[in-house]
Amino acid sequence: MVVKSRFTLPVLMLCLSLPLFAQDNDNSLPDWSGAWERLGHSVFDPSTVVGEGLSGSPGVREFPPYNAEWEAKYERNLALRDAGMLPDPISVCGTPTGFPRLLNMPDLYEFAVTRDQVWIIQENGPNLMRIYTDGRDHLPPDMRWGTYTGDSVGHWEGDTLVFETISLLSSEEGRTILDRSGAILSDAARIETRMGKIEEDIIEIRMTIHDEKAFTEPWVVTRQYQRLPEETRVYDYACAQNQRNPVDLETGRTLTLDSDGEILDRDVD
Amino acid sequence: MKFNNILFGYVLLTMSHSLAAHHSTAMFDQTQVKEFTGTVKEFQFTNPHSWIQIFNDENGEQVEWSLEWDSPNRLAREGVRPAMFSPGAEVTIRIYPMKDGAPAGLFIGARFADGSTVGRWEE
Repeated sequence: MVVKSRFTLPVLMLCLSLPLFAQDNDNSLPDWSGAWERLGHSVFDPSTVVGEGLSGSPGVREFPPYNAEWEAKYERNLALRDAGMLPDPISVCGTPTGFPRLLNMPDLYEFAVTRDQVWIIQENGPNLMRIYTDGRDHLPPDMRWGTYTGDSVGHWEGDTLVFETISLLSSEEGRTILDRSGAILSDAARIETRMGKIEEDIIEIRMTIHDEKAFTEPWVVTRQYQRLPEETRVYDYACAQNQRNPVDLETGRTLTLDSDGEILDRDVD
Repeated sequence: MKFNNILFGYVLLTMSHSLAAHHSTAMFDQTQVKEFTGTVKEFQFTNPHSWIQIFNDENGEQVEWSLEWDSPNRLAREGVRPAMFSPGAEVTIRIYPMKDGAPAGLFIGARFADGSTVGRWEE
């Protein structure tokens, strides 16, 4: 009886500590530690970009496989962009970029890999995306509503993370964009993503975007991310700290304020 | 060697998007460069953008200009420091000015009195 009790407590304590121990020391998970930065052009799909400049520059566009209706929507956004009247939703501080634009930001990334979840953390926040890898399924239909990052579940195939995202907020009404050219998706978008290292310090992400409302065929977009030197710091990004570029909600135009908060633009009533 | 390559690549990358902004930059005329020498009032090392407030003597009147720059996060990683623009310091700056002539612009680069420069500056 005495011998049994001596073993019971240590074994019980060991069992209780196992989940945490496994999460912190699971050698089967890849090392994606550190700070990472997107490589390549600021348009969402650099493989099809035309024009000179960044995604917000007049004349720059990409070619998602839109049907006629959604190509027309994109062309309306391109015209607004060219006129300086396409506001970036994230200029309203506190608005997330949403997925998949979350993977197309110029600020730094962290990829937090744990046994049951992977988190994609974007420095330009608030942008945190959770991908469940614990075997759970998507939310049932009656529990789904459109959100900025949707609902993502996945699994590991070796060191490659494979996940599917559904239940995204529609891009219509300017709630989200894929880049400043004004590329958009519908609320029917379903995105299959494969993510893994192709070199020690390069992660590649390949998204296959299905959108039965907007596309004539799936859109495959590949982006790469480079790990930065170990001492690189990631900072907070409090957008409301000193936001001097509010959007005029009537015109979609981005304004400029002086240091006292007064509108500097001379042709605004 | 590996570290140096990564660092060099990183510097190029950050320079390539150093004018990427948190918002549309349609208000700036990026075909024109305006240069003037003024006196620093304040360097706001803040998110989502840093701002250099600088007085410019315009026919005897001290006009305050607002110069928009990148986020402090990116600038810090590129070597910019909050103490770099001291109040009262004289500095020559180059900007992409506002299209409508308002006293503001998108910061390109600066040269300080001691000849040192920051941002993009080519003589």
